[in-house]
Amino acid sequence: MLLDINASVGHWPFQQYNYNTCGTLLERMNKFGVSISVIGNINGIFYKNTQSANEELYAEIISDKRFSERFIPFAVINPIYAGWLDDMETCTSKFGMKGIRIYPMYHDYELTDPACIELVKTARDKNLVVALHNRMVDSRPRSWMDIQTEWSLKDIMPIIRAVPDAKYMILNAANSMDLDDNDLELIKKGEVVIDTSGRSTSKLWELMKRFGSDKFAFGTHSPILDYTTGQLRIEALRDSEADEKTKELLRSGNANRMLGI
Amino acid sequence: MNRRKFFENSALSSAGILLGSSLAGCSRRTESDMAAYNIMSEVMKYRKIDAHEHVDLHFGGPEVQVDYADRLGIERLVLSKPVITYTGTPQEFREANDHVLSAMKLFPDRIMGQVTLNPVYKKESLEEIKRCIDQGMVGIKTYYQVKLNDPLFFPVIEKAIDLNLLILMHANCQLGMGGYRMKYDTHLNPNTSLPEDFVDAAKRYPEAMFQYAHTGGGGDWEYACKSFRDYPNIYVDTSGSNNEASMIDFALKYMGEDRLFFGTDSSYYQGVGGILSSKMNEVQRKKIFFENYNAVLRKGGRDVA
Repeated sequence: MLLDINASVGHWPFQQYNYNTCGTLLERMNKFGVSISVIGNINGIFYKNTQSANEELYAEIISDKRFSERFIPFAVINPIYAGWLDDMETCTSKFGMKGIRIYPMYHDYELTDPACIELVKTARDKNLVVALHNRMVDSRPRSWMDIQTEWSLKDIMPIIRAVPDAKYMILNAANSMDLDDNDLELIKKGEVVIDTSGRSTSKLWELMKRFGSDKFAFGTHSPILDYTTGQLRIEALRDSEADEKTKELLRSGNANRMLGI
Repeated sequence: MNRRKFFENSALSSAGILLGSSLAGCSRRTESDMAAYNIMSEVMKYRKIDAHEHVDLHFGGPEVQVDYADRLGIERLVLSKPVITYTGTPQEFREANDHVLSAMKLFPDRIMGQVTLNPVYKKESLEEIKRCIDQGMVGIKTYYQVKLNDPLFFPVIEKAIDLNLLILMHANCQLGMGGYRMKYDTHLNPNTSLPEDFVDAAKRYPEAMFQYAHTGGGGDWEYACKSFRDYPNIYVDTSGSNNEASMIDFALKYMGEDRLFFGTDSSYYQGVGGILSSKMNEVQRKKIFFENYNAVLRKGGRDVA
């Protein structure tokens, strides 16, 4: 089965994307054989108060019982905005959200900000997954109102160094995957998965040799990127590069393990 | 474990587990809504010509390109080695073309070559077209030494018309490049061809054939496709690493189904995945993957059987 760890609903303000509601995303999942999707609300990137986006997502999911069966919602949390701890509590205990997505580049703080570290430690203590996107969109054709910054893998390491025992999903890996030996070891020892939507995961068989086959999981970055490229990167692997058992780990096994389902 | 078993047996199938206790009470669901989808069968269903590929530029020699092509059922690679220096001397472009000729000899049934040149050197460029086309190359690929609508380019375009050759031109369109918001400095070569430059050349030479490179290569593809709407001699290839979900459908809407080429520019999965994910019907998919490019090749008697 396929479990997509990197999908979203909501509106991207600079460009029209289709399939950005629970209903239209579910149609994509049904068409392309995806059983479950982890989703967050893109609106939370742009709202100052991200909890409004989490409430929108919850309302949408409970509006149709099919949604609650096929989606795993993550909350968008901004640790430098008032009430984030209460928001996180509401999202997990009332809304049933299994993880958080954080957007330091858009919310204008550093990963080493004490507030961010406190948030990630809190997530760790609540057994929640922390998800970070290397980029939401390619900065080259970006809107003049959008940010220019993109991360490579090493840019995420400060938070993993600060809280190495949290669970991390690294999404849309679009730039360099180079790490020094210490950071590589940290990733290998930690609970980290990188999704297959990003352009830097195209040589997946080589990355698995370096990081381990337990470190990658299927992702689409829908609705922004096309729906099938992340799947192709797994299914086009040759038997000599990934046997069926390994492919199942990539399709859903590694994500299941991290999500505890 | 199959999917149905997964849903029946796993904790996920228990009502409310995904969303926690607040949603307990939802009924169990099977995957009856989900289609059986075998992505590799879909991939292999279509004949494909990769309209934009390079050798020794991104990922290594032609064996690497052919290996990726084998994975994804790409029958032919239209391959070039553009000179990416500002100078682009005749010695540089001849050496680049020799690389391509070697690749063609290594994989004669898979690789179709494109000749690269620099219009600054008119005589040498025209001689190079003859040398390479005589050895079986099928088109022209140029980079950013000279804009497509620069008068220096006109003799090359006229030769391409004579020989029924498509000109694949490197292009860009983003902040500071392409008619708007020019205050931004992208640090890109100012001689890079922009959508406006393609339109200018297409108007001057309506009988020529131009290929706007890599709509997914980092440019503003909405801007480009809208610019090309009324110019039937401008084609676009959908290659590049930025496989945005709406790109193919947008290009189809603005340019129609006959002027789109499947291409990768070494972003193989994105090239194929973008088309599989699009709203295109079967006829349109066959066109973009294979038939549109083959129709262009046919004009010069160079088509694939």
